[in-house]
Amino acid sequence: MSQYAKKRFLVIDDQPQARDALRTIAQTIGAFAVEFATNYQDAIYRIRNNVPDIILCDYVLGEGRSGQQLLEELRRFNLLADESIFMMVTGEQSYEQVVSAVELVPDDYIIKPFSPDKLVLRLDRIMAKKEFFKEYYQEKRKKEYAAALAILEAQRNSEAGRPYRFEILRQRAEVLLNSGDSEGAEQAYRGILENYEFPWARAGVARSLHRQNKLSEARSEIDRVVASTPHFFDAADLKANICMAQGEHAEAQQILDDVAKKTPRNYQRKRLLAEAATLNGDTETACAIMADVVANDTMPGAVTPEDRLALARSQVDANDLISAEKSLVGLKESEMQNLDLDAQASYAALLAISSPGRGKPRFAGLRPAMMSAQLATNSRLDILRSALALGDHELADHQAKALLEGEEAKRSFGAMRKQYALHGREQDFRNIQKRVALKRIHHDEAPKPGA
Amino acid sequence: MHTLLDVLASGVHDAKNQLFVAESLITAAETQYGVELGEARYAIEAAATRLSRTLAAYTLLREDAQPAITPVIVADLCAEVGLDQKKHLAAAGIELSQSCSVVDEWPLDRDLVTDMLNNAIQNAGRHARSRVHLDARLDAGWLVFSVEDDGPGFATLPPACGTGLTVAHRLAFLHRRQERDGSLHLSNGASLGGARFELRLP
Repeated sequence: MSQYAKKRFLVIDDQPQARDALRTIAQTIGAFAVEFATNYQDAIYRIRNNVPDIILCDYVLGEGRSGQQLLEELRRFNLLADESIFMMVTGEQSYEQVVSAVELVPDDYIIKPFSPDKLVLRLDRIMAKKEFFKEYYQEKRKKEYAAALAILEAQRNSEAGRPYRFEILRQRAEVLLNSGDSEGAEQAYRGILENYEFPWARAGVARSLHRQNKLSEARSEIDRVVASTPHFFDAADLKANICMAQGEHAEAQQILDDVAKKTPRNYQRKRLLAEAATLNGDTETACAIMADVVANDTMPGAVTPEDRLALARSQVDANDLISAEKSLVGLKESEMQNLDLDAQASYAALLAISSPGRGKPRFAGLRPAMMSAQLATNSRLDILRSALALGDHELADHQAKALLEGEEAKRSFGAMRKQYALHGREQDFRNIQKRVALKRIHHDEAPKPGA
Repeated sequence: MHTLLDVLASGVHDAKNQLFVAESLITAAETQYGVELGEARYAIEAAATRLSRTLAAYTLLREDAQPAITPVIVADLCAEVGLDQKKHLAAAGIELSQSCSVVDEWPLDRDLVTDMLNNAIQNAGRHARSRVHLDARLDAGWLVFSVEDDGPGFATLPPACGTGLTVAHRLAFLHRRQERDGSLHLSNGASLGGARFELRLP
């Protein structure tokens, strides 16, 4: 009996004839259990309910979606174990260009038409590879990074690992990045680049540098990638993120706007675009995009309270306080209870402006925490705006100081200055800036402990 | 958006989808009636390959052409070329033998190199008396693929350069790594006595 007899197959294709063709091929190689998914949503639903062993997914899924987007979303929601096989089926050679560039790749892709024999040959190899990496996958899933790295290190020098040399190096770099060792990850990606100029490895260098807050270096690396591989959309996202960190919000928005047009159903990218638009002061775009995300990202659990906060933020920016209030009070009680401090602070700050009667007491109740806790940049900006509006100078100045001292100072600078100007406090903002700068100089000049 | 390339790519894409449906129907018929229709399937795949090759030629000859380089297990690539060609050559009374001494992965454009080797073997098969040999090995930091036959060899050297060869030269050249370019070499008098096709990749 074929080793594929016991495997559960899922065929994803929006064309009935092509689905039948794929099923025929799967049955010819011995498969009994072959399920169908006719579109993107259906595929996610089926995979969520019962993860198949082998997914054969057409690259073109209709309705502006692609198999590549599906793969990215499955990985993002952790719906696809490393042990499952994801095989992209494509009539287009252009997919090869995608695979050679991007960071997130399927186990393999196969070009139509193909014979059952060829599919078996490809699947056999993937099975052998999965078997080789079996123990590594287990440690990776448990986030046991040191153990995962130790396995890869041993495999890297083994005879059996020779056919998987690049895969081992690639996995190693990813684990280093995920474990928070961004210097190690940078070195690992640079090592791969010594072999060949792979766009995904160059993007990995940029990502590692971004994590180290080496922004101009990160920028020049990612510029190279985006210029040479325009179809590598994640690289464009990364570039936009780096631009935002550098305070270049107009450029970030432009980049994301261009890519989002090519991937109209990628809501993750739209969220990023809304963020860039917000920072860029383009409230109209931010409002429209977030409304689209909240209404149309139908993936279960995809629309989070943070999305509703982002929508409300853009509505407050646009001075549409009625809509903002509606977005905020639309949050369910159960969601409210699970908000972390960042989200609670943003919620209270935005509500204090859009619905002062309800919002102010809540905002006041959180004030002690806002004066002492470590908070995310967006939350600090929300608090800063409300504190300025309510005349609470101490609270506003505390947020401004924390933001200017933090690693994301450039990202938030424009928005801060704008808010202070709105309330006629430009000079006060400049004074805070000066104090932070002086403190930094003293800090840099102070002798290092033990030196 | 609608450049000539888009129009061509979309047409080729649709045609290949149709060919895939046709091949799966043949596969179903083979199972149902217990017959072997390998040559029919080969003809369909050859038609699809021909379409792809035309599109690839158009793309590669453009100035901004970029190969899609991924790390490829060389032995796997050879096995796949063997699977594509062996039965068909056997039907014509020609034996395809293979040797591959490369264990590691190598960065190359899998689809285009596969197609180039398929093409070289098909050419060799047309002129061979009884044997074609595919070899892959490392030579001083280069990956070397060769296809040899026991036919009469090229009538002239270098042979008249048709579209296929022009594209092959271009593809070899596009494989660039650490300041070294790939290249293509055609010669006579190889170990089997006939023509020799050699692709060197950095």
